[in-house]
Amino acid sequence: MIAAISTPSVDLLAIGPALLLSLGALLLLVTGSFLSGERNRIVSSSVGLASFAGAALWAFLQSDDADHLAFSKQLSIDRFSLFVQIVICLAGVASVMAGWGTRRIGERISEYYTLLLFAGSGMCLLASANGFISLFVSLELFSISLYVLCALAVDDESSLESGFKYVVTGSVGSAFLLFGSGLVYGGAGTLRFDLIGKALGQGDQAHQSFVLVGVAMVIAGLAFKASAAPFHMWTPDVYEGAPTAVTAFMATATKTIALATMLRVLVTAFDASSNVWSTGVGGIAMLSMIVGNIAALRQDNAKRMLAYSSVGQAGYLLIGVVAHTPLAGRAMLYYLAVYTAMNVGAFCVLSVREREIGGPVTIDHLRGLGRTRPLLGAALALFLLSLASFPPTGGFLAKLYLFSAAIDAGVGHLALVGIVGTMISLAYYLRFALALYQPAAEPAQSPRPSHGVPIAALGTAAAAAVVIWLGVYPEPLLDAARVAASSLALQ
Amino acid sequence: MSWLSTALWVLPAAAAVLVGLAPAKLWGRSAFAIAAMLANLVLALIAIGQFDSSKGLQFAESRHWVSDLGLTYHVGIDGLSLVMVALTAFCVPLATAFGLWAKRENLRGYLALMLALEAAVVLLFVARDLIVFYVGFEAMLVPLIFLIGGWGGTRRVRATIRFVVYTLVGSLLLLISVITLGLSNGTFDLDGISANTSPWLFLAMIAAFAIKSPLFPFHGWVPEAYREAPPEVAGLLSGVISKAGTYGMIRFALPIFQEPSSDWRWLFVTLALAGLLWCSLMAFRQPDSRGVIAYSSIAQMSLITLGLFVGSGEAYTGSVFQMVNHGLLSMLLFLLAGFVEVRFGETAFARIGSLARGRAALATIVMATGMAALAVPGSSLFASEFLVLLGAFRYWWLVGAIASLAIVLAAMYMLRWISAVLHDRTATPVREGKDVRWEALYLVPLLAVVGFLSVDPHAVTARVDCDSHAGLVAPASTGSEICR
Repeated sequence: MIAAISTPSVDLLAIGPALLLSLGALLLLVTGSFLSGERNRIVSSSVGLASFAGAALWAFLQSDDADHLAFSKQLSIDRFSLFVQIVICLAGVASVMAGWGTRRIGERISEYYTLLLFAGSGMCLLASANGFISLFVSLELFSISLYVLCALAVDDESSLESGFKYVVTGSVGSAFLLFGSGLVYGGAGTLRFDLIGKALGQGDQAHQSFVLVGVAMVIAGLAFKASAAPFHMWTPDVYEGAPTAVTAFMATATKTIALATMLRVLVTAFDASSNVWSTGVGGIAMLSMIVGNIAALRQDNAKRMLAYSSVGQAGYLLIGVVAHTPLAGRAMLYYLAVYTAMNVGAFCVLSVREREIGGPVTIDHLRGLGRTRPLLGAALALFLLSLASFPPTGGFLAKLYLFSAAIDAGVGHLALVGIVGTMISLAYYLRFALALYQPAAEPAQSPRPSHGVPIAALGTAAAAAVVIWLGVYPEPLLDAARVAASSLALQ
Repeated sequence: MSWLSTALWVLPAAAAVLVGLAPAKLWGRSAFAIAAMLANLVLALIAIGQFDSSKGLQFAESRHWVSDLGLTYHVGIDGLSLVMVALTAFCVPLATAFGLWAKRENLRGYLALMLALEAAVVLLFVARDLIVFYVGFEAMLVPLIFLIGGWGGTRRVRATIRFVVYTLVGSLLLLISVITLGLSNGTFDLDGISANTSPWLFLAMIAAFAIKSPLFPFHGWVPEAYREAPPEVAGLLSGVISKAGTYGMIRFALPIFQEPSSDWRWLFVTLALAGLLWCSLMAFRQPDSRGVIAYSSIAQMSLITLGLFVGSGEAYTGSVFQMVNHGLLSMLLFLLAGFVEVRFGETAFARIGSLARGRAALATIVMATGMAALAVPGSSLFASEFLVLLGAFRYWWLVGAIASLAIVLAAMYMLRWISAVLHDRTATPVREGKDVRWEALYLVPLLAVVGFLSVDPHAVTARVDCDSHAGLVAPASTGSEICR
């Protein structure tokens, strides 16, 4: 008699986007060993771009399937995860474009794209994680890739510093997350989000102190990744030191995945204790909006300014988590898409400028850019105005939507802090935007010969088009966000 | 004709994008920008021609924008919108013509921003949805910030930041009020917004309009912005954009918040009177043309606000008419001041003077403008001020009496300005500098329209009559249908 061996059901197609990104990464490891020089650079960049674009397309095509659980129910393949995956993959596409032809990485170009693809793959998996096991594994997959990516320019001290800071603080965040999930397991007896939700829904386990401590630690771990205050200390240094294309990817994709995961975990697993965590997350949101926006006021380095601004943006986005109504879920997804577009756009411009001046971009390097390079300057001005939420850009509608959702859900005080934060943020966004149109302090030197600028400019133009499009005709994306948010048990 | 409301703002917006992005020679860009502005003026004239004074809202268009939140793209034109849109479409090309004459550098950006400004201002004047209005209200800040910050005087950055901080504080208060109103009604469409009694929402909303108008004591940004902005932008600011404030009061704050606005009427009447007197006195003390015009502008806007709050049909009509008159005259005054600055290179009264000698055309235009601006009987400004004062006397004779003082003060500061520019002898008389020649192209049209409205005030008042019969804040008409 042959005993039936139970084999786990493996539906590889369900994780198509993540799989595709991993395959791209593996391919690059092979080609990197055979090719060198300019050919390696072109092949690596092309494979990176094609993998991200293909993964986005795959996720888009998958969105016709019904929501289902896969991989022994450890992964939830639903519209929410697919929406998030598409945003992440498009952020990946834009980041590859921003870094196209960069010389800062030196000869390690295939490793660079390998790691970027693995990071994307980890994020795509995390988007559908339905349990703490899959959550932690995919979180570490993208985190470790990003630690190395930050430090990849090994000849550059600031890059090494950035990688080191990121690995130390990131590990602390991961440790928090791991310990928190352990505590939750103690209370619920399972690691799967939907089962935790059921277990905690009965009785008063949801308010046992060690479960609450576990929830708090999970939130803290994810807030580290989302760089929300007070867990944001690493952000400016890491953003400043990392290669700009990596910064673009971290600022957008990491934030997207961290916040989307936080929303999914909290509403799926810990809905029963929402009265407790919504207060805590509300505090983090307020602190982020205030600290991020005030700290950004005094930054002269463009990347540091964007780093602090992203702390503030994380605060606005957390309002969506606190409100966790269907409207808030939609608003948050919409905001994430707009946020990704405007931030990758801004980093694309910085990446171009960085290569022209051969060093970090400060506000003085941007002075006069709007006159010498009208289109590039206008695009950066557009992204900054969108971040400052001026109509008719996507940034305005996104914030309007989010604040409306907050008021609708009865957390109007957060919307009020958000509005005050927005007011503060105008000072630094406008400072940079106005600098673009002030005369340059020194006579403009002829730009250095640089590579890949047309591709980065193309990325900039695409991001600008998206920012305007989302501000003028938001309905298609809102429909998608509505469908995506309905996959979560928001109420 | 429902496309007309949309076309009026889409045309300049599209032209702004084209001017900014399309490759062309500089003169081609300038010609195209001016042509687009004139085409928009033609559209505005078509709207005036097709407008039926016996009906309310016309050329209306409504479609869903963000159905989740109840945002609609709803635009349309009634009497009030019509005159405001016409004022905008008329003033912007003249301002741009001045800019071209004054040889603004970096013309590409300048023209694109002027067109974008026109688009945003027109959008807010035709909006029938709170958020669409807010979009226009906010979007016009962007070109203004760059126009003042990029082409202004020596202290432009300071002036810009002050301007931005003041306006944005107002805007965000307005946003809070708008979101709350919209969510409680389930729609942001003006037709679906029911009356509200919350004094907080009322004060939040009116704060934005009070800053924009500006109403005393929220005028802190004005003198600096009007001095540091390029003269034609200062003209647009005081002539057209400040009207967005009073327009917002008429369109939104007063009809939606009937009860609170009637409760708080005493406050706004007091502030308007205070601003009227204080700024008239300040105008008398200013050492340069722009200072005089800036403070006189605040005083005039206070008078308009007064007319809106005393709550009678005459005063309302007077205020709207005053908005048009003041728009034209203040534009004209700033362009004249700008002309003097550019041509003679001096701003302070201490260094210019006796410009009339040998410059007959300039003297004539300055004199005519000054007379119109001090509301000499027979002028259009006289008609509108008379209506406002009539309403003020009906409200309370004391208010009317105090407001009448402002007429005397206006005569004082305008006469001082005329003599300072044209006649006063200075230690170093200006000998260089030609008379007005081609510059008449951007000065005379304004003067001609002022003259026309002096002869035929009915051209404006008849079109806003419909709103005025509704008696916006008149105590007698509480509960009556608001003319929307």
